[in-house]
Amino acid sequence: MNKRYKSGLFNSLNPTRYNLERWSYTLHRITGVILALFLIAHIFEIYHVTLGIAGWNQTMEELSNLGVIELIGMWIIAGSALYHGANGLRLILNEVFGLLLGKPRLPEYPYSPLSLGRNQKIAIYTITLIVVALWIWAGLYLLAGLGIVRW
Amino acid sequence: MLLMYALGLIMIFVLTFHLLLVSPLTGRTFAEALSYNYVLHNLTYFQVIFGILLYAATIHGLNGLRIVLIEWLHPGKYQWIINAIIIVLMAMLLALGTYTLIAL
Repeated sequence: MNKRYKSGLFNSLNPTRYNLERWSYTLHRITGVILALFLIAHIFEIYHVTLGIAGWNQTMEELSNLGVIELIGMWIIAGSALYHGANGLRLILNEVFGLLLGKPRLPEYPYSPLSLGRNQKIAIYTITLIVVALWIWAGLYLLAGLGIVRW
Repeated sequence: MLLMYALGLIMIFVLTFHLLLVSPLTGRTFAEALSYNYVLHNLTYFQVIFGILLYAATIHGLNGLRIVLIEWLHPGKYQWIINAIIIVLMAMLLALGTYTLIAL
């Protein structure tokens, strides 16, 4: 393996010097890894419910002993899930159904990418707005106990 | 790839439901949403939905992790090691999750 390929490990996480789609790709990948690692811990955590009420409460107490670290962790997980889901829906529309991409044409100077037209930009910015709004709500709920809807 | 899209599409519905159960829309605080009775009620009452979520999330998540590891590490002829670790991890997680859902 030569040096040029090794630089890809770190450079692949650098979204600058590309366009908007590269940012969504990088975020999709980072949030995906966060969620996959959380999933392993989460399945193990939920297993403790089979130990009965005493075992479950002890597990919850050990987790809440982490204090604000646990809540900030949950907030990061919530944001990751929101972003990965919303962006994943856009990717399914793009790559499975071919929507939002516009009609193909011959490349013309200055060779702006056809895959990043007006519809794609609207979709990406809409996703960002919705995810940020829901993430703020999740943060108020987790860290301050606010935003609870009582019917 | 189609597997990832299909499982992702399933999870958009199932995981939204799962997140709604612990969301502020239930009128509970975060600690109340994690109380033993509420968690037990959800896991038994929506057992099938959580079963679908368990299998979809584990296969989608660990397959994604496998792809990320292969692209970052360029394992070449050692790729089978990554595949083997992922398959063993996947089997362990599915066994543990299935046991949790059935034992309740």
